[in-house]
Amino acid sequence: MLELRNLWKSYDAHGRQKHVLRGLNATFMRGDAVGILGRNGAGKSTLIRMMAGIEPPTGGEVIRSMSVSWPLGFGGAVHGSITGADNCRFIARIYGKPAGWVESFVEEFAELGEYFRLPVKTYSSGMSSRLAFGLSMAIDFDCYLVDEVIAVGDARFTERCRIMLEERRRRSALLMVSHQGELLRAFCTTAAILHEGRLTFHEDLDQAIATYQAL
Amino acid sequence: MDGSLPGQDRALRPPGLAQPVGSRLMAALRVQLVVLGAVMMREIHTRFGRHNMGYMWLFFEPMILGGCIAMVHYISGHGLPGGLDILSFYVVGYTPYYLFRSILNRAATALLANAPIFYHRQVTFLDVMVARNLLDCAAVMIAVLVMLALIGAIRDVWPVDLVWIAFGIATIALFCHGLSLMVVAATIFGVETVDRVVHPLTYLTIPLTGAFYMVWWFPAELQEWMLLVPSVHMFEIIREGQFGPVVPYHYDIPYILVSCAVTNVLGMLALRVAKRRIEFT
Repeated sequence: MLELRNLWKSYDAHGRQKHVLRGLNATFMRGDAVGILGRNGAGKSTLIRMMAGIEPPTGGEVIRSMSVSWPLGFGGAVHGSITGADNCRFIARIYGKPAGWVESFVEEFAELGEYFRLPVKTYSSGMSSRLAFGLSMAIDFDCYLVDEVIAVGDARFTERCRIMLEERRRRSALLMVSHQGELLRAFCTTAAILHEGRLTFHEDLDQAIATYQAL
Repeated sequence: MDGSLPGQDRALRPPGLAQPVGSRLMAALRVQLVVLGAVMMREIHTRFGRHNMGYMWLFFEPMILGGCIAMVHYISGHGLPGGLDILSFYVVGYTPYYLFRSILNRAATALLANAPIFYHRQVTFLDVMVARNLLDCAAVMIAVLVMLALIGAIRDVWPVDLVWIAFGIATIALFCHGLSLMVVAATIFGVETVDRVVHPLTYLTIPLTGAFYMVWWFPAELQEWMLLVPSVHMFEIIREGQFGPVVPYHYDIPYILVSCAVTNVLGMLALRVAKRRIEFT
């Protein structure tokens, strides 16, 4: 279970407090596939980073009682100056997985060919998101936090991501943030809208998308 | 990196299982060590890289400096007070000084260079600093060992006590580690600003560090002032390890230990305060 309890985030902008998130409450369970819709600057990435535990909330708390992934998105998580293979071994070690197995899993999934043994900074953005996504699949989390990553890949990659996430739906939760309603249809069953610092849940995906587009 | 207790969030198993406090602590410690090991491995990869010379400078710089200064002394016909071997004197002075400079100069950009790995919540800023500084310390120890072996083979001047030399180097690393945490904390005022202040400072403080002279060369009233600087004591220990009791040495072990403890405690406090305002993810 991943729980948000009265979560606040405020920034100091030119001496004035700007409240990005104003007291969010939510509970996510295994098997949930929730899309979070929000405009640019609504605080989607901030929210996902706080759920991942890499950014401290200003108030309230995030309670993680299942293993939660790092925020999957383009950029971040993988290091540019070492090779894809070295990144695999590093991440395998810090998550306590066998390094050799993770390396071969990702090599097969990401289809990087000889680039797998070259520094990540030589990759295209599609290639690095394949690497990052493959890595997160190899670690096998209970809950995946996705920050529009899939939009970067080509159609074939998007389809493989969808299949992989589908397979894991029974045992994992998926939380995906996006500013495009259509993207969520492929991956999510319910949706919430993040608007003016508050999160509103909708049971019905179509209704959520319609409400979001009317904003 | 949120407000939860260390170890609570870091355990890789799903929490919620009732465990005695002792085994939770052990689990947290194990995760800490695993993360530290992994970050060190990663640092080795980035530093050795494929085509940068990285650690080779550890050997070249002190050798070139030691060689040149030894040459100047040889040509001018002056020796060092006490008749100490010039080449080994500068090698055991400059190489540990290199550690001092490298830990402090690279501290400001340390987190920026590692930004991607803070996407993993079990990796803390402190882990990265500890891993880097440990690695630097080990590299400098190996470099000193190799160079002293070379000097021994060429000039038949052998170190008297290697453990004592290693102890001296370790105290420098520990002292600078504490300082480096303060440098990291100061980056909330801007990485570039801090970098611009730290670099000149490490050069300007060369005469104060005690790397290139001995305390007994100076009059007693000056010695008192010199010995206020902790690193002066540390370099004396390293030289004692190299040359043995042929000249007088001035150091105070409790003073060294206390100053290491002070920089580390202050450094960790500063980092704790600054942590929420440092954003590299």
